[in-house]
Amino acid sequence: MTIICLSFLIIGVFLSLSNNLQFLARQLSENLAVVFFLEKGLSPSDTEAVMRTIRSSPHVGQVRYVTPQEALRRFRQRFPQLQEVVAGLGLNPFPPSVEAVLKDKTAESADVLSFIDSMRRVKGIEDIQFNRDWVERMRSLSRLARAVGFFLGGILVLASFFIISNVIRLNVLARKNEVEILRLVGASNVFIRVPFLMEGIAIGVLGSLLSLALIYGVIRIFPVYLGSSLGVLQEIVNFRYLSVGQCLSLVAGGAVMGFLGSLSSLARFLKI
Amino acid sequence: MADMIELYHIWKQYQKPVWALSDITLQVKKGEFCFVSGPSGSGKTTLLKTIFRELVPTHGQIIIAGKNILRIPGSRIYQLRRQMGIVFQDFRLIFHKRVFDNVGVPLQVLGMPRKEMRRRVFNTLRMVNLHHKIWEFPASLSYGEQQRVAIARAVVNNPRIILADEPTGNLDTELAFEIIGLFKEINRHGATVIICTHDKEIIRRFAERVLFLHSGKLIGKEAV
Repeated sequence: MTIICLSFLIIGVFLSLSNNLQFLARQLSENLAVVFFLEKGLSPSDTEAVMRTIRSSPHVGQVRYVTPQEALRRFRQRFPQLQEVVAGLGLNPFPPSVEAVLKDKTAESADVLSFIDSMRRVKGIEDIQFNRDWVERMRSLSRLARAVGFFLGGILVLASFFIISNVIRLNVLARKNEVEILRLVGASNVFIRVPFLMEGIAIGVLGSLLSLALIYGVIRIFPVYLGSSLGVLQEIVNFRYLSVGQCLSLVAGGAVMGFLGSLSSLARFLKI
Repeated sequence: MADMIELYHIWKQYQKPVWALSDITLQVKKGEFCFVSGPSGSGKTTLLKTIFRELVPTHGQIIIAGKNILRIPGSRIYQLRRQMGIVFQDFRLIFHKRVFDNVGVPLQVLGMPRKEMRRRVFNTLRMVNLHHKIWEFPASLSYGEQQRVAIARAVVNNPRIILADEPTGNLDTELAFEIIGLFKEINRHGATVIICTHDKEIIRRFAERVLFLHSGKLIGKEAV
């Protein structure tokens, strides 16, 4: 039971981690914005011209002008511990900027990159920041987490399969006399096999349910222990619980594995 | 009366060059009560095992109630065995189950409702005078009582054929007579009964027909 539980626990934890990273990636891509940093001292008419150029792109949804004062206020809000550093400078280091939110699906297309490249040549734009890389990184990390989870879990599921198979084999051997009697009094193969199969399924289901309970416990307790010491990483390790579909899949996986494990054992050791 | 069990030229070899059964041909009529006798190792148990198809003979044909049982696929053998009640010399009781469950096993495999099962098991145990021990475990019963539980299990579903392998082995004469008396009673209700025994006293007292085996050969089919 421990190994079965452990194998599903590993799959579950990695699924949860993958869910979390995907969630982050989705959040990032939903708010995927391109920030165009403007030259300092750009005249209002030039600023308006730059904004017009940005708005004219089919990839861009909302466009918003951010003054240096607003940028400074945001910085102070987000990083209160760095307030003194800015105060020590004696001047506002932030340039004016234009934030352009990309339209849905646009972030995926290669056209956006060429659009951003073309914008680099526009007069008045000093620099452009586009956090698409982060989204990509999150997505590939999520894919990696899922793959590692399935790989490690897969190995353990295979181990569980053999363990269930052996548990059933021991039960078959322990109940050999009873099985023999059942055969001789006219029990059908199905009648003899069903209890063993049910036992295998029960072991698989209980193992996976136990792993779900443990995952739930880990997800609840883990962030409490780590607290805010993780800083930005807290969002990553703050696992979200598995979806209903994933939970059901894990339980069904346990049942199928239990069924197959006992079936293979019965085929080898219960000659009826 | 029609034949219930027909064996034609049955040969059985476990390993060369010894034949456990050699060219056995015999017929047992419906409702007949007969003994199979012979010394140890003469092939009595092998003969019984071929009849309930625990063993498949090397050669020959076995017809039970008009059906060639060697043509029944392995997955359908249970249908043949449901027509038979088998009593083993070593009883083969399930020791972690109560007397009720042991006797009820043949009914359980038929999917009989619990209430009906309880009635049938109780009546059968009353027949073998063990109804007062219905909720006990076999280990708490005497040797003779365990044997009677095994007989009750063999007859509880009213089988057409009863096969008993040395059912009185290691029992004292009085108890052995009592057990064979039970089989006689079951036979009177219409079942065909074949009992393997080497007990001459029992044969002398109860036999109507005796089949003698020696070194796997049928050396006599006598009606007493």
